[in-house]
Amino acid sequence: MNEAPAHRLAAMTGLALAAAIAVWWLGSTRLALDHGTEAGRCADDALQALLLVRVTALAIVGVRVGALRGFRPGVTAGLGLIAPSWPVVVLAWSAGTSLATHVALTEVLLLAISVALPMVGLGLQRLLRNAELAVVTGTVLGTALVALAWVTRGFWYLPSL
Amino acid sequence: MSRWLWLLGLALCGMTDAIAQPRIDLAATPAWNGWTRPGRATEVDIRLSADTATRATLDVVAGSQIVRASVDLEPGRIVRLQVPIESAEEVAVSAASPAAPPQRREIRIAHSESPLLGVGLVIGDPVHLEGFHMVALDADDLPRNASAYSSIDALILDAPTLGALDERQLGALLVHAAECGRIVLLNVDPRVRRVLDGAGGCGGRSLMNAASLADAKEMLNSSLAASMVPATALPEFTEFARPDHLTWNRVLIVLAAYFAAATLAAIFFSSLPVMLLVPALATVAILALLHFIQPSPQLVVWSEAASGAQMARYQAWQRFPGVTRGRTRVPVLPQLASARSCDPTQAMLFDFDASRGRATFAEFDTRLFRQVSLCYSGSFPVARAIAIDARPDGLLHVRNTGSIGWPKGALLAGGLVHELPALGPGDDTIIPTRSGKSFRDNVLRTAMARARTDGTAALWELELGGVADIPLQSKGWLLVSIPPP
Repeated sequence: MNEAPAHRLAAMTGLALAAAIAVWWLGSTRLALDHGTEAGRCADDALQALLLVRVTALAIVGVRVGALRGFRPGVTAGLGLIAPSWPVVVLAWSAGTSLATHVALTEVLLLAISVALPMVGLGLQRLLRNAELAVVTGTVLGTALVALAWVTRGFWYLPSL
Repeated sequence: MSRWLWLLGLALCGMTDAIAQPRIDLAATPAWNGWTRPGRATEVDIRLSADTATRATLDVVAGSQIVRASVDLEPGRIVRLQVPIESAEEVAVSAASPAAPPQRREIRIAHSESPLLGVGLVIGDPVHLEGFHMVALDADDLPRNASAYSSIDALILDAPTLGALDERQLGALLVHAAECGRIVLLNVDPRVRRVLDGAGGCGGRSLMNAASLADAKEMLNSSLAASMVPATALPEFTEFARPDHLTWNRVLIVLAAYFAAATLAAIFFSSLPVMLLVPALATVAILALLHFIQPSPQLVVWSEAASGAQMARYQAWQRFPGVTRGRTRVPVLPQLASARSCDPTQAMLFDFDASRGRATFAEFDTRLFRQVSLCYSGSFPVARAIAIDARPDGLLHVRNTGSIGWPKGALLAGGLVHELPALGPGDDTIIPTRSGKSFRDNVLRTAMARARTDGTAALWELELGGVADIPLQSKGWLLVSIPPP
């Protein structure tokens, strides 16, 4: 696959993830409004879901693309995955209780991860001198990162007072 | 000589200090002798004075509600404020001035699990009513805000105590009577009785006159045995007003437009700058749009009266849909009484106008999709008298027995809703009982549930044009229960 379709695939995947969570969030918000319950909780859940889904996608794609195609395509793929969710993140923050600084820091952290993971993939590929082994090792590392994000999810978007 | 000069200097310094440091005196006493019931509103009577002219800011903190008032103090003058507050066991009252040290008073309000019987008798005899907790009251213990009457469940007042009430206390008492509050007046002068006659709500059954304490107890017991329709409970608001989906629809459209644009951009441009620029620009545009969207508040008024009654009691809900994260400041509708937050857990700051004795603005935190509501309650004069005769041929003979006409409305009878034509005073009409429709409307269904057990009532839409600062989306209804034919 040449670069343009690969970028397009990453961007489309990012859009699909963002759209799926937006639909789920708006649906649950509508139900909350109809039943007179607190809609802010749905927004906080949507923010967490956006974070976990993007971390998972980044962990799988970032190292793999970095190992197989190099640093620049890896970064592009990572950014293509996380950037399409920004409008949904802003709306969910407006409806939720999370602090703006926490949300902004998390997005910066995601940007840093999208830059770091292709570098890890590239490093593994050069270290192991075997692309397939680098991909497998990268996937294991990515899975560990996802598990870490899941376990520490409570610390990512703290509700504001 | 030098010693005397020293002393004179010290005295002058002390005087300067005293002039520069005005002192604020603050006293606060709760209504009902410090008693209320869980979840019920009450009132705090505050006295403020200072030894020099100064402007003080008064804060009354009760639960998640803060009432703030600015008061101009003058030497030798005591400013008195009666601030309505939400249910709280501890109330903090503080006064601060730029030139004087702040003053703070803590008040404890006892919450009774048993119903409360307020007894204002000069002779001070204890009154025992089964299941009730008695609270002995002086005239000054009675509140000036009608909303504070929700603290008690029944009230006995003798003539001297009634006579000692000031104008605002009497006004609040009459509003409470019109709202079906159980009140027994003991040995009241016949002239006063005539003035109060008809002021009681629920067909006059709520305001009773007794010749002796034993009669008063008996009357209260009989009144407690008969049910009076309680004020519309808050959850029923959803029966009148559907949730506001305007903001939700707008957000849905905005997101759909963004995803469409981003998909097109991803199809036609695959460069990294475009991939970042589209979501970044969309994020900025959405943030700007949220600030541009004007939320549309909604007002719903529900009022009830008995046919021929002089007063109708009402509950009103003013809902503010949130659009952006931040603090919102909204005006409190001046013609509606007893403004408060519908949700007691919602933190809210009220600006209290000390001269008019009412809240003027409410401030609260809001965010997208959050719907904060202000609740109002009170009564207004009404003149709707309607008589119905059921004829053997299945027709209803409806007459306007009042002194003024009424507009077109709906008649709820026999489990069906009929069109009620506009009728002038003394006019009548015939309504076939079988020509009615079933209740499909939420409002009609609620009206039927609120009507008397025999289910005969008339419903009119209220003309709210006269209410100042009214939101565009406003609706109101008046339900008049009709005695059985």
